[in-house]
Amino acid sequence: MSALIRLRGVCKDYMSGPEVVHALVDVDLEIGAGELVAVVGASGSGKSTLMNILGCLDRPTRGRYELAGIDVTERSTDQRALVRNRLIGFVFQGFNLLPRTTALENVELPLVYRGVSTRERFRRAAHALAQVGLADRAHHTPAQLSGGQQQRVAIARALVTNPPLLLADEPTGNLDTRTSHEVLGLLQELSEQHGITVMIVTHETDIAACTRRIITVRDGRIFRDEPNAARPAAAVESRP
Amino acid sequence: MNALATSLRMAVTAMLRQRLRSMLTSVGISIGVAAVVLVAALGTGARGEIDKQIQSLGSNVIFVFSQPATKSGAKSRANMGMGLTERDAEAIRREATAVTAVTVYSEVSAQVMSELGNGKIGVMGVDESYFEVRGYEVASGRRFNESEAQTKAKVALIAPTAQQKLFGNQDPVGRWVRVGKHPFRVIGTLRSKGQSPFEDQDDRILIPIGTWRSRVVPTLGDRVQLVMASAKSAEHSGEAERQVKQILMQRHQIAEGEEPDFRVGTQQEFQKMQEGIFTVLTVLLLSVAAISLLVGGVGVMNIMLVGVTERTREIGIRMAIGAKPADIQAQFLLESIALTLFGGLAGIALATGLMLAFARDLGFPMQLSGQAVAVALGTSAAIGLTFGFWPARRAAHLDPIEALRHE
Repeated sequence: MSALIRLRGVCKDYMSGPEVVHALVDVDLEIGAGELVAVVGASGSGKSTLMNILGCLDRPTRGRYELAGIDVTERSTDQRALVRNRLIGFVFQGFNLLPRTTALENVELPLVYRGVSTRERFRRAAHALAQVGLADRAHHTPAQLSGGQQQRVAIARALVTNPPLLLADEPTGNLDTRTSHEVLGLLQELSEQHGITVMIVTHETDIAACTRRIITVRDGRIFRDEPNAARPAAAVESRP
Repeated sequence: MNALATSLRMAVTAMLRQRLRSMLTSVGISIGVAAVVLVAALGTGARGEIDKQIQSLGSNVIFVFSQPATKSGAKSRANMGMGLTERDAEAIRREATAVTAVTVYSEVSAQVMSELGNGKIGVMGVDESYFEVRGYEVASGRRFNESEAQTKAKVALIAPTAQQKLFGNQDPVGRWVRVGKHPFRVIGTLRSKGQSPFEDQDDRILIPIGTWRSRVVPTLGDRVQLVMASAKSAEHSGEAERQVKQILMQRHQIAEGEEPDFRVGTQQEFQKMQEGIFTVLTVLLLSVAAISLLVGGVGVMNIMLVGVTERTREIGIRMAIGAKPADIQAQFLLESIALTLFGGLAGIALATGLMLAFARDLGFPMQLSGQAVAVALGTSAAIGLTFGFWPARRAAHLDPIEALRHE
């Protein structure tokens, strides 16, 4: 399996007042195409920093980050925007859809920044919405959708550009158990059937248990990295 | 092109979402743009009107006013006021070669009565040349003749405004009007001459100057208020002015360099004076426009900054899914331009409304030119670009991580 993500000696330092905070210390990591990975860790462990760097939203202080064979460490702001647009789909805890904008328009948005024609945008956005089972909600605004539906719209938005990598930051954090299971099932399906690398940041062990690999971050280092026999998402539902 | 259309639609949508805010923000721009459009419209309307008014005075007319002369700082009593006489006019008529006609007139505003009405009306004493020099035309009836002038006959010609006041829609010819205790027979009516730069030229009755002096204001002797002369042509008007000045200096025994007790003015000078007033008005309106546009622009900047802060999270989302800083900057710039263009359009509408409402009162047509509209919209867009630049730049330089965390 070729590595989609390759981190080599990645460090991230912050200045917090006069003190230097080492958010990430010498992280080496390889993640292959199509993997379904959970990143777990306490708050302040550095997992958010790791995800920001993986998502090309932040730059490492030292070290090297290759995404799909491209060294993205020293890229300009514009080039990193391009990388995010082409290679990465984001799913957030708070859904982060544009308010008062229909599901379809939200899903189209990444294509707008890629300069895709209106007709083609519509076609691909409608297809992505169908993929997440929301074809009939295309013209609803976020306020007219349930939390689970909103998150599925967000997943459709992440998918619409066909990225090799999908980063999900606490994707079920704002959802009830049953909806969580739906969303998680969708992410599993994307990884297994479409070969998309899915990384889920979570602090819930139940969620992590549904992935094939669990990376535990502690004090800015990778504390544990082990394979996991993924439970089907449906099993989450049977939680007490 | 496709991207621009999409961005434009997003900008208009953003503006429509905040209807009240957008409207309030663009009020300043609207007032400024309205002022610009009005200046342009006044420019085309008023200049034409000034020319028309000046033309209505007659053609190539030279005016001589008497003015109190100052000698060694004290006003000379002897020459105070009415220093011009009918003999001065005769001398000009005799000696000035560049002049075709000379006339005199004196006017007093008096209560004039008829059997049908009365009013405060200008009673003018004129000689026979007055009609030519000033270009008055008889509408019905006739002018007074030489014998009537010599015998100081009590006859009058009546101009339209005065006619309306005294007789309504009745035909006044052959009827009587009374000025003080003297009755005058109306022998003719005059065609309208409209507004001059000084007064309504139609609110008056004309009587022979001799009659005026003996019946209306008998205390002035043969002095007149104003002498008017027609130059042979526009080219002769400079020469005519010099001749008139020279003749009067001699007759009034005023030495070279001494301040005369009269003032000579040409039609061109009046025109310049009027245009001077017009320029002041233009500058004033343009100042209002500039200040209003500046204040409006600052308002736009303020509201755009508020918008950027409110939509920090949206900016973060857009950046995360691949918007470059330039995309964000373009988006906010377009929004601010859409806002000011909306203000500009409202301003044009406001100006058009004002023009329609006041066209009648101003008494002359104002024209909304395509050029004015283009300038107004161009200005609006420029304001949007200028004052939207900094907020847009600020949005473009947000850190996506911070922006996404923003509540």
